[in-house]
Amino acid sequence: MSGDAKRSTELVADGPTAGRDDGSSPFNARQLARIDEALTLSSRETGLTFSLYVGELAEPTRATAEALFEKLATEADGAVLVAVSPGQRRLHIVTGEASAPRLPNRSCALAALGMRAAFASGDLTGGIVTGLRMLADAAGRP
Amino acid sequence: MSIAQTALVFAGIPILVIGVFAVLVFGPSELHQPNRYRPGKPWTYPPVWYIPRPVTDAGPATGHHAVEAPARPAIKAGAPAPTPNAVGGASGEW
Repeated sequence: MSGDAKRSTELVADGPTAGRDDGSSPFNARQLARIDEALTLSSRETGLTFSLYVGELAEPTRATAEALFEKLATEADGAVLVAVSPGQRRLHIVTGEASAPRLPNRSCALAALGMRAAFASGDLTGGIVTGLRMLADAAGRP
Repeated sequence: MSIAQTALVFAGIPILVIGVFAVLVFGPSELHQPNRYRPGKPWTYPPVWYIPRPVTDAGPATGHHAVEAPARPAIKAGAPAPTPNAVGGASGEW
């Protein structure tokens, strides 16, 4: 588990062929652009800081996701972490003290349901974008 | 017809047709997305963590130098958390 968050702008700037055939990135440039747009727009719209983690989560996965969230929450106000582990077929949405009043657990569960539906059909990027969209819609404007 | 001819007509041609359709159906997606995720396949990529772009609310640039985005520090591993405050959320499996 790498602890450093990368800024999505850096990843999108890698070039159109980044992560295409070399197997180092699960997303190609177009998918990265979609994810970047969804993250940036939903964060800007709501005033919360949405963050996306894609990768292995050590067992117990919920505790790992919460540990990641706590690292994020020290840096950003109103943080919301969306953690996806495609290998383990798990996803976690974590909210904190600042974001929980805007995003009740029921809204998070609905977003998780939408993401699961897309992931189960193999659409990783679509599920991530849908989930962020639903979370942003549920949180509304500040 | 000899046995070879029979085999060619009744096995060779169907296999050829199936092959052509298989290439037409699966070829394009393999070409465009060789590393596409499919449920149940192992995940071999290193973890990635994305945060949103910082808002650059700089007005119209005066002068010739570009306005730089405010630098936000990267999240450090093992930084002490003043408020360990995961409150809610949701989980899912697929």
